[in-house]
Amino acid sequence: MNPIDDQLNRLFKAAAKGEPDSAPTIPYGLETRVMAAWHAAKTREIGSWDMGLLVKGLIVACVIMVISFWPALTTEITASNPFADFLNLTDSTVSSDDAP
Amino acid sequence: MTDAEVTECLARGREGDDKAILELFHYMYPHVTKLVQANLPARESAEDLIQQVCIKVMSHLDQFSGKVPFLHWVSRIAVNTCLNQIRHEKRRPEVRLADLSEDESKVVEHLAASPGDLDASDYVGSKELVDKLLVTLRPADRLLMRLMYLEGRHVDEIASLTGWNKSLIKVRAFRARAQLRRRYSLLMKESP
Repeated sequence: MNPIDDQLNRLFKAAAKGEPDSAPTIPYGLETRVMAAWHAAKTREIGSWDMGLLVKGLIVACVIMVISFWPALTTEITASNPFADFLNLTDSTVSSDDAP
Repeated sequence: MTDAEVTECLARGREGDDKAILELFHYMYPHVTKLVQANLPARESAEDLIQQVCIKVMSHLDQFSGKVPFLHWVSRIAVNTCLNQIRHEKRRPEVRLADLSEDESKVVEHLAASPGDLDASDYVGSKELVDKLLVTLRPADRLLMRLMYLEGRHVDEIASLTGWNKSLIKVRAFRARAQLRRRYSLLMKESP
């Protein structure tokens, strides 16, 4: 083996043993900061869920509005029929003839 | 913490239990710290990066499938966060013999003088010298050298941690090793 490679291998081997084994202590305040950030992220998540629900609600409301206005719109169209008045008159005549 | 305890903590954590999240934080903290400190970008605070990794893990608990051990998943997030941070790092200082500390110079002398393993008294100096040599490499190469030679991880493991394919890892490791060899040779030439 190349002497430089051999030396590098021995250097890495010794360096790996020089890594600290002891468990590091958590710095003061880090735990609180992490928990606060997690809470904030969770709140944002809930907020975005609410916004989605709101949008879905609005879509459903629009659909209900269109469905409920549909008969009125069709009546409007019928009303624009030129024979509509004549038909109404005929209906009323028939109903008045039947009256006792 | 046993695997069963971790699973139970994860389940409670996903439901938003503060106590479970805190337990998970304490469990993963030493692991994250070790990884972040090993791959810390220059001029970056370890604490900030550790905080960033922990928050990422906790906010994405629902994405943990459980197919790999929890700490393995955490490692991947930590490594990727470090990689993202060091990607834009440009400055790579040269290492000169004159810049080495007394301990580091001794290590260089001992390595050249005897063919055997170094003494325990040289371990800290070796670690510092390796750190200085690694800083001269590109961030991704530095990370790879650390994982491979200091942590003794296998190519498969590195592939799953970094998301790089095995061929890329082998090529990158070969080139990084050649660069380290060149830098170390220069040091040896300067040494009396």
